[in-house]
Amino acid sequence: MSVFDGLKFRGISSPIHMLDPRIKFFYVCSIFVVAIIFFELLPLLVLFLFQIPFVILARVQKEWIRSLRGAAFLASIIFGTNILFRFIYAGYTLTASDVEYASAMTLRFIALVESFSIFFLTTSPDHLGLALEKSHIPYEFCFAFTTAVRFVPVLAEEAQTIMDAQKARGLELEKGNFLRRIRNYIPILIPLIISAIRRSLELAEAMEARAWGAIEKRTNLYTLKMKRNDYLLVLVSIAVIIVGIFVKIYVSVPTISNLLGF
Amino acid sequence: MVIVEAKDLTYTYPNAEKPALDDVSFEIQKGEFVILTGPSGCGKTSLCRCLNGLIPHFYQGELKGKIVVNGLNVVDHPIHELAMCVGLVFQNPENQLFALSVEKDVAFGLENLGIPRKEMRERVNWAMETAGIMDLAERAPHELSGGQQQRVAIASIMAMNPEILVLDEPTSFLDPVGAKKIFGVISKLNESLDVTVILIEHRLDLVARYANHVVVMDAGKIILDGEPREVLNSEKTRMLGVGIPKVTRLFQLLEEQKALHSKKVPIMAEEMGELVRGALKA
Repeated sequence: MSVFDGLKFRGISSPIHMLDPRIKFFYVCSIFVVAIIFFELLPLLVLFLFQIPFVILARVQKEWIRSLRGAAFLASIIFGTNILFRFIYAGYTLTASDVEYASAMTLRFIALVESFSIFFLTTSPDHLGLALEKSHIPYEFCFAFTTAVRFVPVLAEEAQTIMDAQKARGLELEKGNFLRRIRNYIPILIPLIISAIRRSLELAEAMEARAWGAIEKRTNLYTLKMKRNDYLLVLVSIAVIIVGIFVKIYVSVPTISNLLGF
Repeated sequence: MVIVEAKDLTYTYPNAEKPALDDVSFEIQKGEFVILTGPSGCGKTSLCRCLNGLIPHFYQGELKGKIVVNGLNVVDHPIHELAMCVGLVFQNPENQLFALSVEKDVAFGLENLGIPRKEMRERVNWAMETAGIMDLAERAPHELSGGQQQRVAIASIMAMNPEILVLDEPTSFLDPVGAKKIFGVISKLNESLDVTVILIEHRLDLVARYANHVVVMDAGKIILDGEPREVLNSEKTRMLGVGIPKVTRLFQLLEEQKALHSKKVPIMAEEMGELVRGALKA
């Protein structure tokens, strides 16, 4: 769950929070592109460090660290498998450049997690829904999305209540082997699903009571307007892509082991 | 002026044997504060659903008789059209809020109606002000208490500016303090804006003071319909298990023993206090 904790939005205001989510997404894409085209450690390190000012500007350091900590497990698997395959491939020897390559792959993953976590930590689901709407995705889907986000904490709480109730009736969740433990969750899931269905019926009624589907073209309380900072971020993102591609084509990137003279 | 009129209304849910509403007829005047009460499963909620068209449009089933709300025959008009003149607040506050912030939720109905943004902003602010939730505007619904959530639900209905406000046991999930606040908001709307209120409620101790019309239902039928003091003092009401105000019951017991007498049956603690004080003096 800690990975998701690191992606949970918290309503604070900062220049980054104010940005248009569409532009932020574009920025994430630009980071993605550059992270994908490089296999060397140095440029990926630059990419990683490049994003830290954004984190500080958005004042989400704590959550950001948590998301990285959440990603640490996957990152270590990536590192481990890379080392292992290089080791086997090279005939059971390991060089410094192998370690560097594995680190680069790991750092690539971390840089991606970093950019995604900046996006999700600083974008309210409401704005995200609005951005989806503005991207000509049918309103029903955007509504389903924001409603799903809205009901995550409610369902989590309900699951906890059901778990407590079933435990009070003598259900032992932690008992038995792996398969048995999964089976133990059935008495939790069934009431949860039934109550979710009931809830959805009540929601549908409430939607009807508020004139759902009255007209084709509904309006929205909020609006997305491109401001100076948004244009700035567009320029930054484009610059990131251009510099990335330029370096990739015209500059031979030195590896750190070369620099250190291994 | 009659704003709600039902005549020989009978309704059966799909796949149900017995009708939920059985030959119901009543009239409600504009500006009234109506309390609808009766044992659980007596058809109160079904009657509410008839008022904004959830029955028959959403629930289908078989509807006989006539129900006219604000001049609109419910059967002939879609729910969203009726929703503009009848606002329905449900029992569970949690399941009627969709958005991730309070103000966005209050705006939801207006967005559906395609109200321009500037007007929407004004109406949203007005509704939040009226319900006393201005300070919660940016909060997420799941961070609020049940009472706050229910006030958000009322605000989001009021933003649509309905003539009639129907509330289906809005306080059953709340503590007495939260409930009292809700009733305060409702009676303010009724008095200052002349909104017709139809309130389903069991806690008559708290709400009897606001009502000027009480309807008692049982097994899909209307048993009593009239002036609050008369209905609440009736033997029939008490025998149905309706929780009449405790002071009314106390008055009945004292009157039986000829200890107290008054033409005006008390329904609030203050009235009873006055009566007792008078009796002690005499």
